[in-house]
Amino acid sequence: MRTKSTAISAALAALVVLCAMFATTASAAPAWKFETKSLEGTEVILGGAIESSMTVPGLTTKCEDFLYKLTIENASGTGKGSLTEMPLYNCTTNSKACTVGTIGAEKLPWASHLATFGTTNYIVIEGVKVAIYYEGEECVLGETLVTVTGSAGGSIDNTAETATFNASTLSASKTELKALSQKIEWNGLFPTEAFQWHREQALSVS
Amino acid sequence: MQMHRTRVVATAFFALTLAALALAGSAQAKLVGNYTKFAQCPYASLEVKKCIYSTTESGEVVLGSKKVPIEKPVVLQGGTLKAVEGNAGFVGATNGITLSKAPQNVPGGLLGIVPEASSPALVKTLIKFFLENSLTGVNSTLELAEPASEIVVSENNLAAETGVALKLPVKVHLENPFLGKSCFVGSSTSPIIWNLTTGETSPPAPNTKIKGKAGFIEFLEEGRIALTKENVLVDNAWSAPAPTGCGGILSFLVTPIIKAQLGTTTAGHNTAILKNTLYIASGAAVRKNNEENP
Repeated sequence: MRTKSTAISAALAALVVLCAMFATTASAAPAWKFETKSLEGTEVILGGAIESSMTVPGLTTKCEDFLYKLTIENASGTGKGSLTEMPLYNCTTNSKACTVGTIGAEKLPWASHLATFGTTNYIVIEGVKVAIYYEGEECVLGETLVTVTGSAGGSIDNTAETATFNASTLSASKTELKALSQKIEWNGLFPTEAFQWHREQALSVS
Repeated sequence: MQMHRTRVVATAFFALTLAALALAGSAQAKLVGNYTKFAQCPYASLEVKKCIYSTTESGEVVLGSKKVPIEKPVVLQGGTLKAVEGNAGFVGATNGITLSKAPQNVPGGLLGIVPEASSPALVKTLIKFFLENSLTGVNSTLELAEPASEIVVSENNLAAETGVALKLPVKVHLENPFLGKSCFVGSSTSPIIWNLTTGETSPPAPNTKIKGKAGFIEFLEEGRIALTKENVLVDNAWSAPAPTGCGGILSFLVTPIIKAQLGTTTAGHNTAILKNTLYIASGAAVRKNNEENP
């Protein structure tokens, strides 16, 4: 009888420990912060990528003007976001034969959330879909629709207030982008600066 | 005077020869580097927008109850026209060999498709003769059943792993001295139509869904050529007509035996799996390469 009671107590204790562990994990979810205070309500981050390129082996496409509009909020303590606009201008390729005819984001808004992998905080953008029509008489992709799809995780640097997307960050955040049915590389450096209620306030994620 | 005239004639003849050689050289302008694969593409026609050279290195064709592995490479080559709603018409190879004829070994040989036990006495005697003379090997050769213009290519579907990427009208030529020269499954009037996809098939039962693969693409020549490796095209929803013309003058006896051996060849009982390496080039780029290398 005594043994049964001890066993129940032990099981209960284990359950309490487990719950505590989950609670710790949940509270550790990163959130958007301005001047170290958690964001309340929503804010809009509006900016342009400093550098951005997409590479399928043998062909790299760069956009000089890669703008974006991201509405952010903290929901149940976790940073979320919604990418509502992403116009792309002045896009070129590294090929003499191929030019970029049209390029555009589709199926906006794209959901995003903050997540921690290892010791680094990431913004993970889901449901990415970008359609590209290449042009050029000698370009083998002429007349072919190339669609970039998938999800992308970028590491957040609180000091520089930037999100960096590259092969390492996509791999670390267990995300991938695909075009022409294969994994592609995407490199981008995005400043994260508020443009609504928290202008010129330091934005961080923790 | 006579000597001078002879010299003039000789000089003129020499000049003429040089000019002829120069012209011949120009007509035989050649493709170089990665473009050599497209030598048989009808790129001279401005209507040809893309050149295609695809090698099926392996795979299998299941026709009813017979499975034939693809062990010898089969080449599909030619050009495509401007795509309309994603589908591009095909222009055959300039040398006429749009689909190369590569005889594949049929496992089980002659006895596999004409079993001695279930054959009439006359057929049995003939089979015995062929067995005694070691003429038991049977080859299956894939041939185009319709003009190349009936082939349709969708590059969008090829890359997106959805829909029909390649429509190919074919017939299967069964070859063995006993079977004669006209033993076919499929014909120009009743072709086997393969609607090959890199995506997932939706076959009728008893076949089940199978998946193709777009493969891994790499751009060569600064985006002028796309090389796709590990491409897999599949179709297992096609039907095949009954064999015809097998056994020469004994066709009336042999063809029914082969038909029985193949079993049901209606949709849902056949499969084509083609594993390919695919080169696609812009027609304009091939033309330019040709012009640059007289």
